[in-house]
Amino acid sequence: MLKTNQNNPISRTRVKICGITRPQDALVAAKLGADAIGLVFYQKSPRAVTVEQAQAIIQALPAFVTVVGLFVNAEPTFVHGILAQLPLELLQFHGEESPEDCQQFAKPYIKALRMRPDVDVQAFAKRYTNAKALLLDTYVQGIKGGTGTVFDWQQVPTHLSKPIIIAGGLTPENVSQAITTLTPYAVDVSGGVESAKGIKDAEKMSAFMRGVSMSNIKSFTHQETSLPDAHGHFGIYGGIFVPETLMQPLEELRQAYEHYLKNAAFLAELNDDLHNFVGRPSPLYHAARWSQHLGGAQIYLKREDLNHTGAHKINNTVGQALLAKRMGKNRIIAETGAGQHGVASATVAARFGMECVVYMGAEDVKRQAINVYRMRLLGAQVRTVESGSKTLKDALNEAMRDWVTHVDNTFYIIGTVAGPHPYPAMVRDFQAVIGRETRQQIKVLTGRLPDFLIACVGGGSNAMGLFYPFLDEQDIAMYGVEAAGDGLDTGHHAAPLCAGKPGVLHGNRTYLMSDQDGQIIETHSISAGLDYPGVGPEHAWLKDTGRVKYVAVTDDEALAAFHDLTRMEGIMPALESSHALAYCKKIAPTLDKDKIIVINLSGRGDKDIHTVATLEGIKI
Amino acid sequence: MSRLTDKLRAQKRTALIPFITAGDPTPNLTVPLMHALVDAGADIIELGIPFSDPMADGPVIQRASERALAAGTRLSDVLKMVKTFREQNQTTPVVLMGYLNPIEIMGYKSFVKSAQAAKVDGVLTVDLPPEEASEFCTLLRSHAIAPIFLLAPTTTPERIKRICAQTDGYLYYVSLKGVTGSANLDVTSVAEKVAEIRQYTKLPIGVGFGIKDAEMAAQIAQISDAVIVGSAIVQRIETEPQDKLLETIPAFLRELRQAMDGMTSNV
Repeated sequence: MLKTNQNNPISRTRVKICGITRPQDALVAAKLGADAIGLVFYQKSPRAVTVEQAQAIIQALPAFVTVVGLFVNAEPTFVHGILAQLPLELLQFHGEESPEDCQQFAKPYIKALRMRPDVDVQAFAKRYTNAKALLLDTYVQGIKGGTGTVFDWQQVPTHLSKPIIIAGGLTPENVSQAITTLTPYAVDVSGGVESAKGIKDAEKMSAFMRGVSMSNIKSFTHQETSLPDAHGHFGIYGGIFVPETLMQPLEELRQAYEHYLKNAAFLAELNDDLHNFVGRPSPLYHAARWSQHLGGAQIYLKREDLNHTGAHKINNTVGQALLAKRMGKNRIIAETGAGQHGVASATVAARFGMECVVYMGAEDVKRQAINVYRMRLLGAQVRTVESGSKTLKDALNEAMRDWVTHVDNTFYIIGTVAGPHPYPAMVRDFQAVIGRETRQQIKVLTGRLPDFLIACVGGGSNAMGLFYPFLDEQDIAMYGVEAAGDGLDTGHHAAPLCAGKPGVLHGNRTYLMSDQDGQIIETHSISAGLDYPGVGPEHAWLKDTGRVKYVAVTDDEALAAFHDLTRMEGIMPALESSHALAYCKKIAPTLDKDKIIVINLSGRGDKDIHTVATLEGIKI
Repeated sequence: MSRLTDKLRAQKRTALIPFITAGDPTPNLTVPLMHALVDAGADIIELGIPFSDPMADGPVIQRASERALAAGTRLSDVLKMVKTFREQNQTTPVVLMGYLNPIEIMGYKSFVKSAQAAKVDGVLTVDLPPEEASEFCTLLRSHAIAPIFLLAPTTTPERIKRICAQTDGYLYYVSLKGVTGSANLDVTSVAEKVAEIRQYTKLPIGVGFGIKDAEMAAQIAQISDAVIVGSAIVQRIETEPQDKLLETIPAFLRELRQAMDGMTSNV
């Protein structure tokens, strides 16, 4: 039996749009994905319909939309009369009808309960034992339905024997909060999507449906982990370690992020851009030939390489740029190593008409000339960083310095799940779309959740994005793959989780590569995107708790996997992602054929062909 | 009361606090430089612990860190330098200023023990806000070392209160939104903020970041209890001939001192 208030990740909140009076409104509702429409047969209601109106509406409806007839203390003969003329599929009783009254028509029904302060929902549910669901509505003296105000949601018991439908004062703005708070079976809206009583507004209905779908996505990430705490800690990791000047701006950012991540209009805009600008959802692809070749588990690739700009980075930059816009900041800055995050930042800056400055280490500017030019084409200013080791960590320092100086008008888009709170949580939340889609897609493709997840870890944003929505699934094993460079024992690597120790850098406490004196040391990896001495604090926490296993593969192993996938599947992976593939090569052959592995193919490899050619002594 | 607060409370004039990075340009010049600074009018010395990733510092102090690290200066060396300085000077307070990671890696306890043994008076960790500092502060205090914190133009009244409650010795007000050695200091807004901070504390208030010459030092001296000068000194350490540093650096400090005293002697 379905427990109503428990989150089933695959379930979706149903939507009923009530008080429809015109065929065109019914049609729009159906088109937007409403599951049911409600017709009011109660003459005192401003939304009451005649039999003729109802016939026209029902005629206009496509298949698979339930038509609900609403009655309030109606005479049985009246209800019978309506049923004789109209094909109503479900009855809704909104008055003081007894269980016997409701059952006498031999039709499935739902019973409305107006939420008086002293109402006993449990007793009510037991009494109406045959009701398909209980519809909880606001109680206002003398008004039956359509009150336009919400009731006290705290009154709803957490465990109830009947599915619940939340009604009363729902709007596009508050529906996602209602769903997150109550996880109902369905929501019922009427006045909240109208331009006048009985006249539905297409824009508002559309916004309402977006609010529902986004909050569905939110609501099942909600329970997976309660971390970080209020100060950004994941166990002993994370936190805020910045100069005083940045403390208040970070607090403002935290407030804005927490506000907008629950704001239906913001989520709707984000969702729209992820769909139409980024090209989401990205496919989940069964690498059948490669799986067969390796002779073990079935391997599925989450194709983040097919996103606009060619990597997962843009999921986060779109989110942060939209946040910057809401916060009134029109200048964005970013750090970049390989240039992927820089390109993703420059891209959204162009998209939203913002000024963009990207900091890049002098060494990386030399190694990644094409991405530098790409950023400039997009209108960004690329500033070469000559300090320290002239790589990603120094670019991050320089971006922080810029932020301290221009904090009034500038938004710093950090590209990974590191930095001071709220960045690690915020970037994770923007990237978690990867894991949420994967959950749905793998269920459709295979009928179940995977056995293994594998992702490469530099700062760790693509890995966090894939892992996060699965963290509560204790049966799923997860592997984060770091860059072992020339080998962990050579010291030339970028594997702080496998070979580093906890410390503080770039605003958070995490595993770092530093020397005995606490100075940050230079890293090495064939892949510029993994060439960073730190890692997101949530990974540090997941390592210590043992929830995720962190391993490392060498440059050579990654390079071999790069060639394998290119030749066997016609997909050229980024060298970063090739680290995840290389680890998969080690475990897939040891597993049964019915096991399922999902790898985050975080980016495409076109950017790396010069590196690969040079390593192999080929001149292009 | 600590040597630090005594110093700031007892004297009538506004204190002058020079900053140099330990080990810059070479480790064996640091202690002689410290003595020369005291002779030239330094009331307290802020000694920078070099770090590979000094994210709050402008290019001048970044390069000083790089020179010191290239010369092999480690945190344990910095503590030794203070110890050596104390052999001849038991009165001038020394405040260590740096970033958290070297201290974390050494371990809070062994750092605090060594610092006490070297008679360090205060510690300012740039990237350790009070929210994360309770364990470290307790240890510092129990070893008679003052935890010193920064206040910034962006600090809200609630935070000012919290920071004042956790600070001993003096408060370090960052005069501008920016890194060390920036050039956009506005004396009027500094005066306003310092006045605001004084509503919440009786601790002395030092002002630093962006004080680049004698004139600016004199202006800031009028509104603060201590003038902190870093990049302007370190810039000279970088550009002046190394064999003349023990003359040129004190000469610059005297210039600052005279300008400050000239302005404050009428008060």
